[in-house]
Amino acid sequence: MFGRKPTGNRLKPTTAPRPAERAAPRQRLGFSSWRDQHLYSLFSSLGRLVARPWATALTALVMGLALALPLLFLVLLNNARSLSGGWQDAREITVFMQPASDDAAAAALAQKLSARADVVAVKRKTPQEGLDEFRAMSGFADALDVLKYNPLPNVLIVTPREPARGQDPAVLAALKAESGVDLVQYDASWRRRLGAILELAQRGVFVLAGLLGLATLLVVGNTVRMDIQARAEEIAVMQLIGASPGFVRRPFLYTGIWYGLFAGAFALIAVFAVQFALSGPVGQLLDSYDHRFVLQGLNPLAAASVPFVSAALGWLGAMLATARHLAEGHPE
Amino acid sequence: MIRFDQVTKRYASGHEALHELSLELGAGEMAFITGHSGAGKSTLLKLIALIERPTRGHVTVNGQNIGAMRQRSVPQHRRGIGMVFQDHRLLMDRSVFDNVALPLVIAGLAREEIGKRVRAALDKVGLLDRDRAAPITLSTGEQQRVGIARAIVAKPAVLIADEPTGNLDPQLSAEIMQLFAEFQQVGTTVVVASHDLPLVKRMGKRVIVLDHGRLLDDFRPGAL
Repeated sequence: MFGRKPTGNRLKPTTAPRPAERAAPRQRLGFSSWRDQHLYSLFSSLGRLVARPWATALTALVMGLALALPLLFLVLLNNARSLSGGWQDAREITVFMQPASDDAAAAALAQKLSARADVVAVKRKTPQEGLDEFRAMSGFADALDVLKYNPLPNVLIVTPREPARGQDPAVLAALKAESGVDLVQYDASWRRRLGAILELAQRGVFVLAGLLGLATLLVVGNTVRMDIQARAEEIAVMQLIGASPGFVRRPFLYTGIWYGLFAGAFALIAVFAVQFALSGPVGQLLDSYDHRFVLQGLNPLAAASVPFVSAALGWLGAMLATARHLAEGHPE
Repeated sequence: MIRFDQVTKRYASGHEALHELSLELGAGEMAFITGHSGAGKSTLLKLIALIERPTRGHVTVNGQNIGAMRQRSVPQHRRGIGMVFQDHRLLMDRSVFDNVALPLVIAGLAREEIGKRVRAALDKVGLLDRDRAAPITLSTGEQQRVGIARAIVAKPAVLIADEPTGNLDPQLSAEIMQLFAEFQQVGTTVVVASHDLPLVKRMGKRVIVLDHGRLLDDFRPGAL
């Protein structure tokens, strides 16, 4: 302050502006300046995040884990479903006739069943056919030769029309009442139970995904809220010199989008890491199942949509925070 | 250019900052607002910039009754007004150039045009060679001049300043006031709130004296 040299000579005389220059800039934003403003916000918000890497990483990690959990459950569920898918078609009813009943009785019942409207097909296996099949499949051919008589009954394989969801076909009750029938085996009941469990699990995953999505909104929203508080002075100055609410909000929205993108990347890394870690032991387990079942990873379409969904969540969280905490036009 | 018509401003706290104030400033006129602290100087400026709205009466800027202006038109209104603050309110995390460029970035000017105008504004306040500096490395007087460059870079029709020399020594204060007078000479309407009465008198401009929100005196140049 003291000993300062006179500085008046540094102030240059001003020249009168032409009237055209005097008009306050009221023109519509051209595309190039619109693009410039967005690019500026995009990279300045990224710069701010990179300038404090630990805080950014922590926020993105929390969000990323919250997104990874439902994704992992989804993968698990899809595998359980494809595993059970092999049994989806097991809707045949196997009818074992009483050993005492003869071929004619079985044929009569088969004919009677074929006539029913709710029966698609009836296949009859005589005791001899059953024995041949058993001989071919089990490898007990020699042992079977020892048998003095064929212990197998007549078997009818009834394919009912697909019953209403969650109901047993009507023919099932009719078969149980039929005389000459020893045992009616219907695989679909437990299959349906499994289906219901998977349905419930899927609903659970969706609810969980919804709750965790909400959590990521809150994480982003809270981070952006703190960012807004830290930059209150800057926001006030911008509003004082004529920044529109959109201009003030834009860097925060981009911040939210960046958080979302980072979180999406973390989530995908986490899911792939878990898949990789499990692939060895699961592969061994699958080998014992004769490769009838393959481990399915995250569906590529779902994986591709993760960054978009997480970016949208980040944007929405930032939007909520700015709507709540940026008092429009009241800088003081 | 600026017209106050029976303007009363009462804050939510019940404090009445202005009471039925009427005054008029022509285009290209320069006036000092003075008075004791709490006389309503800042409130008067805030009403011009629509930081506050009048409780009663009309404030007209450039023929427009701004008291009735919709909230979404306020940013556009403020772009036509350059504001200088006592504590300059520069953004300390940005360079001098970026601070001065801010109003033009907000207005959406092309990058080359922004560069040209910022350099012209910095040249006018004598800080062209400091455009890459951080504001924190400048002296108080230089910081205030950056604030002035930011206020005039968009060539506003109205320039308002609230105690712009409050933190400066007399020598620097006189320089800053001289700078404002130069902007008046090129046609800008300039309103400066200041309690530095000796300095205000030396400037030889119109002086409006407020007392408890009322107009106490209105000296015109030549009457002094």
